[in-house]
Amino acid sequence: MNHATIEKNISIMSLLTLVMVSIGGLVEIVPLFFIDSTIETVQGMRPYTPLELKGRDVYIREGCYNCHSQMIRPFRDEKERYGHYSLAAESMYDHPFQWGSKRTGPDLARVGGKYSSLWHREHMRNPRAVVPESVMPSYSWLEKNVLDYNDISARLSAMKKIGVPYTTEMITHAKADLEAQAIPGQNTTALISRYGKKVPVDDFDAKPEQITELDALTAYLQMLGTLVDFSSYQARSR
Amino acid sequence: MATQPRDQKKQDQQPGDVSTTGHQWDNDEGYPLQEYNNPLPKWWLYTFYATIVYAIVYWVLYPAWPLANGFTKGLLASSMYQELAQEEAAAKATRQPLEKQLADLSLEEIARNNNMLQFAMSSGKAVFGDNCAPCHGTGGVGAQAKGFPILVDDDWLYGGTLAAIQESITNGRNGQMPAHLQTAGGNLSVEQVNDLTQFVLSLSQRANDSVSAQRGRLLFSGEASCHSCHGDHGKGSLLDTVGGQPLDHGIGAPNLTDKIWLHGGDVETIRTSIAKGRSGQMPAWGGPGGRLSPLDIKAVTLYVHTLGGGQKK
Repeated sequence: MNHATIEKNISIMSLLTLVMVSIGGLVEIVPLFFIDSTIETVQGMRPYTPLELKGRDVYIREGCYNCHSQMIRPFRDEKERYGHYSLAAESMYDHPFQWGSKRTGPDLARVGGKYSSLWHREHMRNPRAVVPESVMPSYSWLEKNVLDYNDISARLSAMKKIGVPYTTEMITHAKADLEAQAIPGQNTTALISRYGKKVPVDDFDAKPEQITELDALTAYLQMLGTLVDFSSYQARSR
Repeated sequence: MATQPRDQKKQDQQPGDVSTTGHQWDNDEGYPLQEYNNPLPKWWLYTFYATIVYAIVYWVLYPAWPLANGFTKGLLASSMYQELAQEEAAAKATRQPLEKQLADLSLEEIARNNNMLQFAMSSGKAVFGDNCAPCHGTGGVGAQAKGFPILVDDDWLYGGTLAAIQESITNGRNGQMPAHLQTAGGNLSVEQVNDLTQFVLSLSQRANDSVSAQRGRLLFSGEASCHSCHGDHGKGSLLDTVGGQPLDHGIGAPNLTDKIWLHGGDVETIRTSIAKGRSGQMPAWGGPGGRLSPLDIKAVTLYVHTLGGGQKK
């Protein structure tokens, strides 16, 4: 069929356009129905605690992903430096994921527990105070900004709507859970019963009297990559 | 008005030489604005075809299409996970003979064996650079920020022997100096904190208010019970004793009589340390699920021990 003929006949043009768009759509959409089969079965994954979720919001707001990836690729050098390569399961509660692709700073996928919270505070104040060769800007306002978490329950229900398995109980007690994780000396039994033993509980910013954005961000960084129990994980040979 | 064309060749093309799309705009002084129906540039078109062929070849050779259960594997059956496993196996085979010795020999034996020490040092240096240097500084020289011990000097909090260093790395350390000022949760008044500060200055033979320091001396082994961690003479939990009994080396209370300070030795910093307390945390790197393998820890222990301050016993 001559191209001119198609261009001049609106019915044929519409029909063929529809065919082309359908093929493109099928190729893009159909695999999404099988996406669950690509997520590994692992032990230990849980949704973010309210404090970590707020910290993640700070991470996104400050654009940390512009310089830090959270994706350890299956290369020997990356595995030896950062630990086990990232699994799809580890980002299953991420909306949106923070894999990133710009690697100016180190990968953060498994930074949890690597440094003390004191280190994180000093590092956010002035990265060069601990890593002289660092080019990271200072984020000194994080420990001055009081964390606004009045909307935390709504934040959790929004995540639930897009598929994160927060229970009603988690949503109701979100505020109490957030405070229990960041204020030293609080009763953390309920928090731990809901989110598990691996929840990092600390006075992250060394300011026990208030919860700052640094508390939230550090809580998030201190749990990154620590959830999956790799002793029970069998790598798929594919 | 028609402008003078820059390209003479184009000008030579007369209307009718190349077919147009039939679209026409305007008709300014007999020059209708028409759209030529030129073919695509050949270099572009063939490159485009080549990418299509490349894609098809790629589909056949490499993993490509998702299926209901899995995906097409491709003729080369390429998998990054397998490549990783092969590379790791190859690296392991190369390192095997030396790593076996590193595992079998004790820290002291390795320290005496030049070859093995070389191996442990180069391996330990890499581990240190990525994991330890962010706090302790490259080569262990310390950081500008306070609170992170310098590893090149011979002043230790938890001990500088091979065994003590290995223990610190494997299980981590938690240093806790409690707050002593009443408003911060302690039991001392502002004046008492000042007295203690003056006494601590006197411990390292620096200018102090001797009357105030004398009152501080009483508090040190009295109400504030500083001596229960720093020892009767303030020499720290490693060197000092309490009533003749040695202190638990796991306390990590610093020696206050020397000139080396963890958080800073000026009057204001000492006052703050006493008033508000300090906490220092060395993360645990070993154990199940630990970030470093026992071999890595052994290597980095030897590396740290040789940085300058390693103690024999």
